[in-house]
Amino acid sequence: MASRLANWLDERLAWRQVWDAIFLRKVPKINWLFTLGSATLFVGVNQAVTGILLTLYYVPTPDHAYNSVQYITTEVTAGWLIRGLHHWGASALVVLTVLHMLRVIFHGAYKYPREVTWWTGVGLLLIVIGFGFTGYLLPWDQKAYWATTVGTRIAEVTPVIGNWILRIMRGGEELSAVTLARFFGVHIWVLPATVLLLVGAHLYLIIHIGISAVPKREE
Amino acid sequence: MEESQDINRRSFMSIATWAIGALISAAFAIPGVAYIIGPALRGREAQEWIRLGSTSKVELNVPTLFKARIQRKTGWIVNEEELAVYVRTDNGRDFVAMSNICTHLGCRVRWISDQDHFFCPCHNAVFDTEGNVASGPPPRALDRFEVKAEDGQLYVLGG
Repeated sequence: MASRLANWLDERLAWRQVWDAIFLRKVPKINWLFTLGSATLFVGVNQAVTGILLTLYYVPTPDHAYNSVQYITTEVTAGWLIRGLHHWGASALVVLTVLHMLRVIFHGAYKYPREVTWWTGVGLLLIVIGFGFTGYLLPWDQKAYWATTVGTRIAEVTPVIGNWILRIMRGGEELSAVTLARFFGVHIWVLPATVLLLVGAHLYLIIHIGISAVPKREE
Repeated sequence: MEESQDINRRSFMSIATWAIGALISAAFAIPGVAYIIGPALRGREAQEWIRLGSTSKVELNVPTLFKARIQRKTGWIVNEEELAVYVRTDNGRDFVAMSNICTHLGCRVRWISDQDHFFCPCHNAVFDTEGNVASGPPPRALDRFEVKAEDGQLYVLGG
């Protein structure tokens, strides 16, 4: 029954071809370091799932942000777990992204013909940092408030356009309800949309080009 | 022994991968569902006796409306809400306390004194003085509170 359905769908969607291209593609002899990209993707999916769940209770206004986070952590069933996964996953994502990048650097895997894969990867690193920066404000506690105060002031140090950048980040001169709302919007809409595009391109290129082998001494 | 020959290295890895994948999915799905439905499964907080007012306000055979301020916690917000209760007595000692919430779809009923019945404006429901359905769509009589009178004061059990 299941295989008949699978055949019926394959006839129309050619999903087996897609499946084989993704999971049964040829890879050179590699080691465990080559799993860092997949690990990053896995934690990214964790962030998406737990992040979507958190928005069910989180309210991004100064009146409610802190209390709704406390509500999630102390009162909602498994809320501590969902928030914990998102919180620790965020740190893990930054660490894994950087380790994955280092592996690519040390293996020289960014070279021809994989330059575009590398560029999308650099974009993804910046987005991961953006996720970290905007997400840090959302619990709206003292740490969040002052970290964002300092973070936006660091951005202000930029020559000539510094104050302009700070005002755009904060949505005004002061860190306020406007700041919290836009950080939330960027965190859950702007960055995820961008990440989806870049991850799509990144994965397509990995599958299309294939992964590089470990460099050898004689090459 | 025959079966063990059927499982080669490749199919073992395939089964193991699927099994681990299913395990990880369950590890997300189970707490995820619990997290979504958790607050819905939580019952009302502990009920307590709420003071409505003096028993002397209740005239014989006339449902009298009492309003009490109660604190109700929803999510992380504590709201002050108004609890409205119709109290009726036919001997001045035994009291009946009825909710003013229509049992049809939750609109508020009111006592129409010159017609001697409760009326709900949403779908023209009519309840008699005891709270029983006289006409209209409601499935059952008006809900009742547990009520007590102490030192000339009326209390209902709610929360």
